[in-house]
Amino acid sequence: MKNILVIGAVAAGTKAASKARRENMDMNVTVLTRDEYISYAGCGLPYYIGDVIKSKDELLVKTPEAFKKEFDIDVLTHHEAIDILPEAKKVVAKDLKTDKIKEFKYDKLILATGASPFVPPIKGVELNNIFTLRTVSEAIKIKQLINTGKVKNAVVVGGGFIGLEVAENLTERGIKTAVVELLDHVLPMYDKEMALLVQNELMEHGVDVITGEAVEAFEGDSDGNVKYAVTPSKKIPADMVIMSVGVRPNTELAQKAGIELGDTRAIKVNHNMETNIEDIYAVGDCAENINLITGKPAWFPMGSTSNKTGRIAAINLFAENAERDELRGVLGTNVVKVFNMNAAKTGLTEREAVKEGFDVETVIVPADDRAHYYPGYKKIVTKLIADRKSHKVLGAQIVGEGVVDKPIDIIAAAITFGARVDDLAKLDLAYAPPFSSAMSSTITTANVWLNKVADKVKGISPIEAHEKLSDKNVMFIDIRAEEEYMVKTIPGAVNIPKGRLKKELKDTPKDREIILICNVGKNAYLAYLTLKHMGFEKAAILEGGINAYPYELQ
Amino acid sequence: MPEKHINCRGMQCPGPIVTLFKEIKTLEPGDIITIEVTDFGFKKDINAWCKKTGNELLSLEEKDNVITAKIKKT
Repeated sequence: MKNILVIGAVAAGTKAASKARRENMDMNVTVLTRDEYISYAGCGLPYYIGDVIKSKDELLVKTPEAFKKEFDIDVLTHHEAIDILPEAKKVVAKDLKTDKIKEFKYDKLILATGASPFVPPIKGVELNNIFTLRTVSEAIKIKQLINTGKVKNAVVVGGGFIGLEVAENLTERGIKTAVVELLDHVLPMYDKEMALLVQNELMEHGVDVITGEAVEAFEGDSDGNVKYAVTPSKKIPADMVIMSVGVRPNTELAQKAGIELGDTRAIKVNHNMETNIEDIYAVGDCAENINLITGKPAWFPMGSTSNKTGRIAAINLFAENAERDELRGVLGTNVVKVFNMNAAKTGLTEREAVKEGFDVETVIVPADDRAHYYPGYKKIVTKLIADRKSHKVLGAQIVGEGVVDKPIDIIAAAITFGARVDDLAKLDLAYAPPFSSAMSSTITTANVWLNKVADKVKGISPIEAHEKLSDKNVMFIDIRAEEEYMVKTIPGAVNIPKGRLKKELKDTPKDREIILICNVGKNAYLAYLTLKHMGFEKAAILEGGINAYPYELQ
Repeated sequence: MPEKHINCRGMQCPGPIVTLFKEIKTLEPGDIITIEVTDFGFKKDINAWCKKTGNELLSLEEKDNVITAKIKKT
């Protein structure tokens, strides 16, 4: 009987094993894992420590016993693979409970060795109560410490998805939490002006956000427990630290066996999930991906991609050529909730698109996620990134209290099928008041982009506007009603409600640089047309208006 | 003390704040006005508005997607 062997038993490994069983009912399927827990919801761990998920059992999708009983798959926990012998088609593993060395023969081998948190060599990082959060075992330890009630202050190092989810969950448990991020904003994979909207949400909920700084050292007490995280400008109290600066693919085992790594240092695979060594496949977080837009190697360690690659490898193990499955590439689509704010992204950021040499044009458009007269509607801000020449959609980011996953999925689908912004503007999308708007946020954003590219309006981004605040030659005009202006506006802006523009600007030199401000950009667009008509040469609107402006308002 | 109730459901900004401005002018100091709004941006705005105008925000509640603010004119 033929043997299918899988190393790793979280998302990709168990998916590959289950699918391999369904494809091959007459073979042995064996899974090796060094961990105690298998098939767990790794993405749910922050919510487990936050007590949104009460018991660890809720995170466990399937036990080894269930795999045996339901699928006749042998899952061997506490078994660490230490060597792959491709010539002999064997894997050497150590039973961590007995220290016994065992050999497993394979006809086909699937590597699903995952990724591990990267811990930088910071002074004091070995102190007690400094954790990473990747496995159920780690989550249990963290939750136990929190449950003692001794954690008053916590520091999260790294402002990515896990870091922010942890910060929210610790705050919800009454712990004063600080996030330290090396870049100048949280969510490093997002464009700055969008990420700052999320950062503001964190701060409004009492999280201290320290950006542009690294933790240089941890200081402890006489018992060896961490007490402070030290950055160049601050000494932050910390009874507990979560290190979430990122993960690295687990490739040591593969490398030892001569399996090639890609540019991203993850295991290089083709579209069929095959490595350079025959009969060995790599799936999930340990494997490299291809960016669907650039065609270049990329690495997106995401549960959604892991499951797909696990399935594809399993199908291909014994498939005839015509039946082989493949993954052409991924977009790195993601979504995260941070307190009341949701953020989602697909495709390239503006910075990535520029780096790739596209002729990039972007817009930022706030909109309601459903009909404004239907109670429960919320704001979302969409940033669309596309190529000026080809009009191809390159990426999008959506942030707000409203529904963001639906519009990002629409755009992810559009990019996958090679859509132009013109196609996006004409999509026939589901509409009724409780669900969407007659002109959905995605369609409106596409139309604004087309207007901008057709030079119907000149817009400037919140970041550019912010940089011009100190420039005395630039006139910021808030064209909203006096009542709104009074509540909040951009520092230094004058208030000229749009009906009074003609009268009040009649003596202003026509070459004066003017930035028009309203709530979302729509009224500013009208005002812009008025100013153009009056002969103003350097007028522009603040894209996204007050709603998407992430800096201080007064 | 007279209490006034205004319904700004379905109004998008600036509707609620402009309406509130107008209504509060008709009241005497000490009077209370309750405003119902479905625009969630209002939550932050009403705090800033009260601070700047000196009126007192007695309560701010959110229930069934409706925000209800109770304000005392000073």
